[in-house]
Amino acid sequence: MHIPDGFIDGKTALAAAALSAAGVSVALRQVQRELPPRKTPLLGLTAAFLFAAQMVNFPVAGGTSGHLVGGALAAALLGPSAAVVVVTTVLIVQCFLFADGGVMALGANIFNMAIVNSIGGYAIYRGVCRVLPGIRGQVAAMAFAGWCATVLASISCAGQLALSGTVPWSAAFPAMAGTHMLIGVGEGLISALVFLAILRTRPDMIAGTAEPGQPRRRGELLRYGLLVTLGVAVFVAPFACPWPDGLERVAARLGFEHRTAPSLFPAPAPDYRTPGIHWAVGATAIAGAAGSLIVFALALLLGRLLVPKRAAAISGDLKGL
Amino acid sequence: MSDAIQITNLHYRYHDGTVALAGVNLRVAAGECVGLLGPNGSGKSTLLLHLNGILPDKPGGGGAVKIMGETVGPQNLEKIRRQVGLVFQDPDDQLFCPLAGEDVAFGPQQLGLSETEIAARVRGALAQVGLAGFGRRATHHLSHGEKRRLCLAGVLACDPHILALDEPTSDLDPRGRREFKALLRQIPATKLMATHDLELVVEMCSRVVVLDRGSVVADGPARELLNNEELMLAHGLERPHILRHLHPH
Amino acid sequence: MRRLPAALKLGVALALIAGTALAPPGWTGWFAGVAAVLALAILSSRIPLLFLLKQLLLLSPFVLGVALVNALQPAGRAQWMIVAARSALCLLTVVLVSNTTPLSDILRVLRRARVPALLITTIALMHRYLFVLAEEAERMRRARLSRTFHRGRRLRWQTLATVVGQLFVRASERAERIYDAMCARGWQ
Repeated sequence: MHIPDGFIDGKTALAAAALSAAGVSVALRQVQRELPPRKTPLLGLTAAFLFAAQMVNFPVAGGTSGHLVGGALAAALLGPSAAVVVVTTVLIVQCFLFADGGVMALGANIFNMAIVNSIGGYAIYRGVCRVLPGIRGQVAAMAFAGWCATVLASISCAGQLALSGTVPWSAAFPAMAGTHMLIGVGEGLISALVFLAILRTRPDMIAGTAEPGQPRRRGELLRYGLLVTLGVAVFVAPFACPWPDGLERVAARLGFEHRTAPSLFPAPAPDYRTPGIHWAVGATAIAGAAGSLIVFALALLLGRLLVPKRAAAISGDLKGL
Repeated sequence: MSDAIQITNLHYRYHDGTVALAGVNLRVAAGECVGLLGPNGSGKSTLLLHLNGILPDKPGGGGAVKIMGETVGPQNLEKIRRQVGLVFQDPDDQLFCPLAGEDVAFGPQQLGLSETEIAARVRGALAQVGLAGFGRRATHHLSHGEKRRLCLAGVLACDPHILALDEPTSDLDPRGRREFKALLRQIPATKLMATHDLELVVEMCSRVVVLDRGSVVADGPARELLNNEELMLAHGLERPHILRHLHPH
Repeated sequence: MRRLPAALKLGVALALIAGTALAPPGWTGWFAGVAAVLALAILSSRIPLLFLLKQLLLLSPFVLGVALVNALQPAGRAQWMIVAARSALCLLTVVLVSNTTPLSDILRVLRRARVPALLITTIALMHRYLFVLAEEAERMRRARLSRTFHRGRRLRWQTLATVVGQLFVRASERAERIYDAMCARGWQ
């Protein structure tokens, strides 16, 4: 999901960069406040871990393989702010050293994969943990959070592509969200398996379980929530509303009108010219809603499968972790 | 002659409760080279980590460690760490900077030296360990022997009075071992070496301390203890081959 | 090319990328100019061409995706080519700079640009231990597979997940030892 240069335009890149810069500085400040100095190298090492883990091939079928992205996993292991810092580091290194993801698009990539993916994944993980108790609950929560995080990040990405006019929303949303609903299954599954492996051997290393009830944590999540909401408003909302001239309206509202330079695409909603494609958006939305329910059920099943009854019973002791 | 290191009745437990050190008493005079021997799990590394205050990491250990006459405590850690250079067991733990020169410069930077002084120390330390010109080399691409020498350089750049080495020659090929041994010989600092390399001990150490299950079971002249086959075997060691063939002259 | 100061290379690269990504499609002169500059830089840096071409493949998912969508549109092909050209030029610029500039220099520039120290340290540590962990992962994977006698995919997944989980545990433990090593040399 690393957007290369040339796929998003100036205003989108700028908006995303602003949101990302805000998010990352919030994260850095939070980490400095709450991370014990002993754990400072852990950030860099977790970033290296994510990168190394992303290279492990989980065989799917006939030569294809799944890979871990790990934003939600990092958040469950280290906490939301640390995860933002860690994934941002991974993205920066991937961008500059491995040319994976564009330089201008770095803001957008960080917003999608470090903020939406990690924070969204964390929020869902914590939310589900509260509803489902014990180790089984944690595993199911991790699986579901991994899936949701992937899909949410892909929607944000689609929004950015559409706002830039590179690809119309009616194509970007079904394509990105659709494919990532499938990819997300792998992500959720791998995240849950890895999470369980760590939980079994070293449950003390799972730090992302500070109760959201704590005022500090709540304030932290509120700030991120604000950022993500802004992002949604900028990148997704214009398209979620069926305005034929939605793009132009948003551009006018933001004050970004291309007055001097001719725009890349002639009309704001070229999708209406190609018959048969605009239904894809509706279909994808329905698939997403249904998919979430299905994946949630699957996640519950996974929890049951992976955690035998005996271990689930002992989980009462570990719940406090 | 004053003691460089004085350890009195040192106790330490791991986080899971296992006893790591059960009342260790040890003195090392200034300029001495002492070998710390013992089977795996005897507490050698744990003991070394007490020398510069990394351990105890929680209060209530018991016992005292004195470096150059000063008791090691939270109030003087900075000073102690300037005097004790600890070379870790795994070079990849110690060499945390991407470039070799940066890593050697780390210590002097923490000491607050000027840019020129830092550069001079880095050059000097690299030259001392035979890695002159390696400043811009990536740490990851060095051979194991080069990494071990780089660890030593990073510690020497701080000019410590005492060198504590944890398995300094393990995983080295014979040439690497010879080179490292030659290096160590040239360093006048007090040395305490935890090692399984019995030949290194024979060639370099005047005294040997044997640790087993957290207690000192023997402390005396190197040759005498190492020749005591019964003692060696009883504590997971053996009599070094080199002594079997040496003529007493 | 390698000997140019990092700040200069980064600054020029940033300008080129920004310009290329934002320039309107009509400015063919700009694109041609950038291509010429890149060609010169490639020659002077002596990076093998095959390597550069392989890096371009990274673009493929997005380029193909956009190509597919635009194929269904009237003016599609021209727009697709413009997007592809932009991203190719930008990518080559990044590849050139990253292969002729050590990361330490780039980080020094970032430090001067007042990027927070914690982020810079994290990037440096990640870069240092990337390969260490990758090798560790590979060794563990090989060791595990040597003791896997069944062909089942489910077992493969379990094994790999355990390896990845172990990798995190080892990375965490190593992080603590690194902290000790930093303290041992005076880190506050």
